Amino acid sequence: MQRPLVICCGNADRGDDGAGLLVAHLLAESGIEVLEHSLDGLALIEAWSGAERAILVDAVVTGAAPGTIIRVSGESARVLRHDIGLTHSFGVADAIELARELGRMPKRLEIIGIEGSRFEPGTEPAPVVAESAARVASQIREELESFPNESGCSGD
Amino acid sequence: MTSKTIKVDCLARVEGEAALQVKFRGDRVEDVKLKVFEPPRMFEAFLRGRHAFEAPDITARICGICPIAYQMSAVHAIERALGVKIDPAVRLLRRLFYCGEWIESHALHVFMLHAPDFLGYPDAVAMARDHKDKVELALRLKKTGNELVTVLGGREIHPISACVGGFYRAPSRSELRALEENLKWALDASIAATKLVSTFEFPPFEQDYEFVALSHPKEYPLCEGRLVSNRGLDIDVSDYEEHFFEQHVKHSNALQSQLKKRGSYHVGPLARFNLNFDRLPAAARQTAEECGLKPPCLNPFRSIQVRAVELVFACEEALRIIAEYEPPAAPRAKVKLRAGAGAAITEAPRGILYHRYEVDAEGLIVAAKIVPPTSQNLKRIEEDLWHFIPQLNGRSTEEMTLSCEQAIRNYDPCISCATHFLRMEIVRE
Repeated sequence: MQRPLVICCGNADRGDDGAGLLVAHLLAESGIEVLEHSLDGLALIEAWSGAERAILVDAVVTGAAPGTIIRVSGESARVLRHDIGLTHSFGVADAIELARELGRMPKRLEIIGIEGSRFEPGTEPAPVVAESAARVASQIREELESFPNESGCSGD
Repeated sequence: MTSKTIKVDCLARVEGEAALQVKFRGDRVEDVKLKVFEPPRMFEAFLRGRHAFEAPDITARICGICPIAYQMSAVHAIERALGVKIDPAVRLLRRLFYCGEWIESHALHVFMLHAPDFLGYPDAVAMARDHKDKVELALRLKKTGNELVTVLGGREIHPISACVGGFYRAPSRSELRALEENLKWALDASIAATKLVSTFEFPPFEQDYEFVALSHPKEYPLCEGRLVSNRGLDIDVSDYEEHFFEQHVKHSNALQSQLKKRGSYHVGPLARFNLNFDRLPAAARQTAEECGLKPPCLNPFRSIQVRAVELVFACEEALRIIAEYEPPAAPRAKVKLRAGAGAAITEAPRGILYHRYEVDAEGLIVAAKIVPPTSQNLKRIEEDLWHFIPQLNGRSTEEMTLSCEQAIRNYDPCISCATHFLRMEIVRE
């Protein structure tokens, strides 16, 4: 079975929005190949097209306490595309919806969200968010132990 | 007399975050405000005290859509401050790099952000249900741009290879040749795309704009040239601040740029096209002509056509550069530090991007100024709306709102905000 493709999203210069990238760096330090993703929803569709399983890590805003980790399948998360507030115009949420329309979703998509609350430019993720990022990185590391270290990316 | 207000609290399909408020008294437009919640441009402050060599990478983070534009304006401005001369092969590589960004950005805007307006869909996802082929075409075009950026920039997002003096690494001939096949496909696809968008219906709306763009004697402009307009402006880019100023308006925290004593002006594809049509290479010029597009084009809704023509240009230019490519003797010039100041303007996909830096003898930045294209167009966008909205009289508020949004998207405004967390509702099954 193909190793899941791990995609970590975020912007390192915008406070808690950097949570996904913290996870990426921690996994990279353990020699696990991940795809870092920033802003461009269309590139995301290209990245996961053809993958059997993809794990997407991103900062989320659900109203929970900062640092709360949520894990949902791409199918059961209803992403409110038109209520994305500070988000980019064609971002992760749009990519999920569009990939569904085009039949280019991975067979299985899991979203791991780390709740954020502060997104000021030029700031780093809050300590509680960074702690959660470390927990998410260890969870993913454990899950991937049974797979050989090669990306599940379709490679095109 | 009745009054009504059109409010769009968060404009969709605009890069960043903005809101529009239009006030009417009876049928008369009383006020138009494009409110921008751009975080104040803190980057100018971040840059002070940082080394000049860091500026390209720091400013690239301002925008996830056009990081190369920020890198290119930064490297050229700092090279001017330090008196650096670059290898002609590096100069061509920079043009090639920029072509990649134009392809990415224009493919995204033409198909995913602007086409839904003309085809009557609320967004690209809805459009994809009926026009899967167009969305797939956009994805493949964009991917071609991404490949070009990745080869030259070291990675797709926030490229890291460009630096003051050149590139940390220059690509080999075979690395570039490997991109040719996709670029040839992209050239044909862009020509077809221009023909396709030319069949759209364009609202009859023309304005007497002052267009401002770079102008180079031989090339369609990307990184170099004098700054010119259709009303006689013809200056070295280092004189920019003598002719332009920025004004803070109460309703927006993005600054609005104006030409001294003349007011608003128009930057971006339409300005470049109108001022540089004769320097478009053959395929792009021929495609424009076949689609009935020639200067002066004064209808901003036709900007979607011009962006498609610029897609043709970017593919054609990339193929030319790759065919002629000889790797530079050294990927980057030796740079000697000295105190000085330098300014540069390059053509970001949305229009001219101005950077100016003052550095001290150790190479530390003493002052930085950045004027992005969207703040140069903001006043012009509001003025377009003042004139366009009366044409919509008699339409429903909903129709009027959609038309106003379409008019704003003519400028592909990028209100750099660049966070992208998901706001979501979880449905537990």
